[in-house]
Amino acid sequence: MICPTCGHDNLPGNEVCSNCQHDLTPLDRPAATNRVERSLMEDQVQALKPLTTPITITGQAKVREAVALMLERDIGAILVVDDAGKLQGIFSERDLLKKVAGFDGNYERPVSDFMTRRPAAVSKTDTLAYVLHKMDGGGYRHVPVVENGKPIGVLSVRDMLRHITRLCRE
Amino acid sequence: MDIGRNLKIDSVARLHPTTPWHVHPMQTVADAVALMRAKSVGCVLVCLAGKIVGIFTERDLMRRVMSQGKPLSTSVGECMTPGPVTVDPKDPIGAAVRRMEEGGYRHLPVVHDGKAVGILSVKRIVHYLVEHFPATVHNQPPTPPFPPKREGA
Repeated sequence: MICPTCGHDNLPGNEVCSNCQHDLTPLDRPAATNRVERSLMEDQVQALKPLTTPITITGQAKVREAVALMLERDIGAILVVDDAGKLQGIFSERDLLKKVAGFDGNYERPVSDFMTRRPAAVSKTDTLAYVLHKMDGGGYRHVPVVENGKPIGVLSVRDMLRHITRLCRE
Repeated sequence: MDIGRNLKIDSVARLHPTTPWHVHPMQTVADAVALMRAKSVGCVLVCLAGKIVGIFTERDLMRRVMSQGKPLSTSVGECMTPGPVTVDPKDPIGAAVRRMEEGGYRHLPVVHDGKAVGILSVKRIVHYLVEHFPATVHNQPPTPPFPPKREGA
């Protein structure tokens, strides 16, 4: 690492220049190489405007009701909240496929029996890179946005894809 | 690595689309569900004599079977999405993304010479995008709670 003030060649990872004590930490900060990367690093979740009231259902509601609501709103996952409005879990098409379909009577049981508990969630000030990290690492298609434990939106994999491809096209 | 350029140049084949699983239109929805569950996939192709006639996805299960109150013994042919939008392995990835966005699809069958050779999922596309910025996406600050004292020396 070459010190920007005195030109001394320091060992990689040094925090200050061993010759002139100049602060070297800014040299190692990641920098974006193009606009997509910059957007991922700097833009926050709220930039994608997922903050419309999310579609939620209480844990006691029946699977039948959850499915009807998902179809009506044309969504693939619904957030399950408790009586205080705090996020309890998420119920998605995958849960429907894996746990509900094919067993008698499941349709009348409460959603909380089949939902995915404590889903990976983000806050509205997290960066898009953080959301992408969660999605890609966990294979999630929907990530709830929460504030003080209460859901305030959902980010879907489609939102992310649309955002990135729009930046590529511009 | 310019991602906009790569979307135009890289072909779908480079993403190694996952193995397609197929069922016959006369098989039951229960068979399709069992197959999807066993393979942990969100869709199966419905094929007749080696030709794709439709696709059966999680969304179809929800929309055309469960919410209609149909039994799982219904044939897949009745509940599938007929004539799905497909891509060729030689198509650029950008074209596949566009087709997914336009139709709101999460899975595209990859078809070469009339034969299904794979399934391209939206998750795979996202992973491809992430591969362009691995450091940005995967180097994330730790989540609380943090240890009260520093560990080690």
